[in-house]
Amino acid sequence: MSTWRRRDAGGVAYSDVEGTLRERTIVALSDRTLRGNLDTAATSWGEGRDAMRRDHGLDEMRERAREIRRQNIRDLPALLSEMQAKVREAGGTVVRAADGAEACRYITGLARARGVRVVAKSKSMATEEIKLNEALEDAGLEVVETDLGEWILQLAEEHPSHIIAPAVHLNRSQVADLFREEAGTDDVPDDREGLVAHARVRLREKFAQAGMGVSGVNLGVASTGTVCIVENEGNARLVTSQPRIHVAVMGMERVVADWDQAAHILQVLPMAAIGQDAANYVNLITGPRREDEADGPEEFHLVIVDGGRGALRGTEFEEALSCIRCGACLYSCPMWRSVGGQAYGSPYSGPIGAVITPLLEGPASPASRDLPFMSSLCGACGEACPVGIPLQDLLVRARARASSPATRTSGLAFRAWSRLWRHPSTYRTWMAGWRLMLRARGKAGWASHLPGPGAGWTQVRDMPTRWPPRR
Amino acid sequence: MAAAQVSAAPVSTPLVEELLASLSRRKASGQVAAAGQAGWAAARWMADAGVTRAVLADDPLVQEIGLPDALRRAGIEVLTWPTGQAKREALGLEGPPDVCGVTVPALAVAERGTVVLEASAGHGRGIDVTSRHHVALLPADRIVQTLAQALARTFDGSRPVPSAVSLVSGPSRSSDIEKISTLGAHGALTEHVVVIT
Ligand code: SF4
Repeated sequence: MSTWRRRDAGGVAYSDVEGTLRERTIVALSDRTLRGNLDTAATSWGEGRDAMRRDHGLDEMRERAREIRRQNIRDLPALLSEMQAKVREAGGTVVRAADGAEACRYITGLARARGVRVVAKSKSMATEEIKLNEALEDAGLEVVETDLGEWILQLAEEHPSHIIAPAVHLNRSQVADLFREEAGTDDVPDDREGLVAHARVRLREKFAQAGMGVSGVNLGVASTGTVCIVENEGNARLVTSQPRIHVAVMGMERVVADWDQAAHILQVLPMAAIGQDAANYVNLITGPRREDEADGPEEFHLVIVDGGRGALRGTEFEEALSCIRCGACLYSCPMWRSVGGQAYGSPYSGPIGAVITPLLEGPASPASRDLPFMSSLCGACGEACPVGIPLQDLLVRARARASSPATRTSGLAFRAWSRLWRHPSTYRTWMAGWRLMLRARGKAGWASHLPGPGAGWTQVRDMPTRWPPRR
Repeated sequence: MAAAQVSAAPVSTPLVEELLASLSRRKASGQVAAAGQAGWAAARWMADAGVTRAVLADDPLVQEIGLPDALRRAGIEVLTWPTGQAKREALGLEGPPDVCGVTVPALAVAERGTVVLEASAGHGRGIDVTSRHHVALLPADRIVQTLAQALARTFDGSRPVPSAVSLVSGPSRSSDIEKISTLGAHGALTEHVVVIT
């Protein structure tokens, strides 16, 4: 288990993914099982979300959600100080980490100091981003993902495919095989209920051993110092109540001012994320257990991670910080629906991943600079976003910011092209030459191999040598 | 369950009706019972579900409705929070499998079928989530319409904030296998709310 999800310290993108973005995309596109699984997932999400728009006015809730989140980001420093003070008042510890490495050092050190051997985790993008699992494993700890989808991926030694539904790209029989391998027996049922029941028992064993529970945070509420953890399975409740220590890892932008704002966002989140008006469990945790309580963690640690977020405030990308990680833009994106999340090579995939991965990594990162080009700019993401982030605009800005040999060459080519076509004389000369070349290459009115800019076209189709084309 | 409703002659309100409808939408169940019948109704639901052991929140309401007696008469073992069980048994890895956690929600949200559980000395965080079944005993006057109202009341600043508040909306489920919702992931497989009028 110690080698899964290997990544270099520092970056957000996975360093163990193979090939370029283009190569990974081509591999994903030719995987028929994957496309079927993605289709099923996106369709069922779409049906739920349409019902939310129709019956619960999801679209009308967007404007207020956007206002709340934009205000939160503007007030971020003050909200974070308030949050910090309130958590401490409730008996918790707060740590501000400048980057992932610092956050990992703190959590690993804590686990060592307390003699923890097994760490139970509930699903968290922030810990995926900071590569906490690797850090804990390097320190000799056993890390168990307890969200069913995440556990399946841990067994498969794969990266998540979606923010909310990490294992959407695997089907039932693929899951059954993984469970058989983990349990070391063929005695694992094939039906969905049986698989879920099997996982429940295996993971309860882990909860019995875990000395530390690590969760993410969907929202922090500054006015009371409460962290909100939204889930359906109940594993986050176990993670936050059974082990002796609870560590909550929160991206610094995930804070709202008060319960009035929290109520609105907590309603919007499941509607956009899973197409339902409520998640099954929402855990609202304020500090460790009180002295007279018989269960709950004795220690509560809130780790607030900057990781490049603070630097985005006040820039043209500030609105990306409003994101509540619902995953709606992924499901609505025709690119993501065709290739899935793994091709992106980052824990954050889809439109929001294509925007924030390079921002958090820095513009020079070869692992993520092409990501903003993984979009047709159709705008479906911006329309789906429940907090009104203009994702297509951010994608365009991210493209402008991306600088790679490929983008520089195509920039030069397009400038030359535009100069050629801007003047009638050069335009006419160009077109005359092009017609001659077409006629020389064409057979019976069609050309099937063209040089230069025509090569891409004729790779997959013929070009007519006269207009209108001959049938 | 219909019999319990009729014999208890409960008083229902639109808020109660909406809560019951939302619960069934969330794949939970619910019934209305007068205080004098509620203990009996809860015990009967548990017996029907095959429950052999109940873990009760230490709340005055549990005694008021005579639940411990009703359970014993139904042959169901009664434990009261804190149970003092060892970890493996508390997690259901040892002991009888058909355990039912009995909670007393501080509030409920009618429009989305949510019960609001607050952790306290008598009300452990694990009561409902570690058990296979979950019964919530809910006085009817604790039902509010919206989540915003419930959260405003829970965190109104008039008392110390509870260490843990859980909004529970139906049995535990997972859609991680083929995006199809399957009940009984980590938490309770069934949830039944007895609304007490
Ligand atoms: S950008 Fe919007 S749609 Fe995408 S995950 Fe964030 S909140 Fe959801």
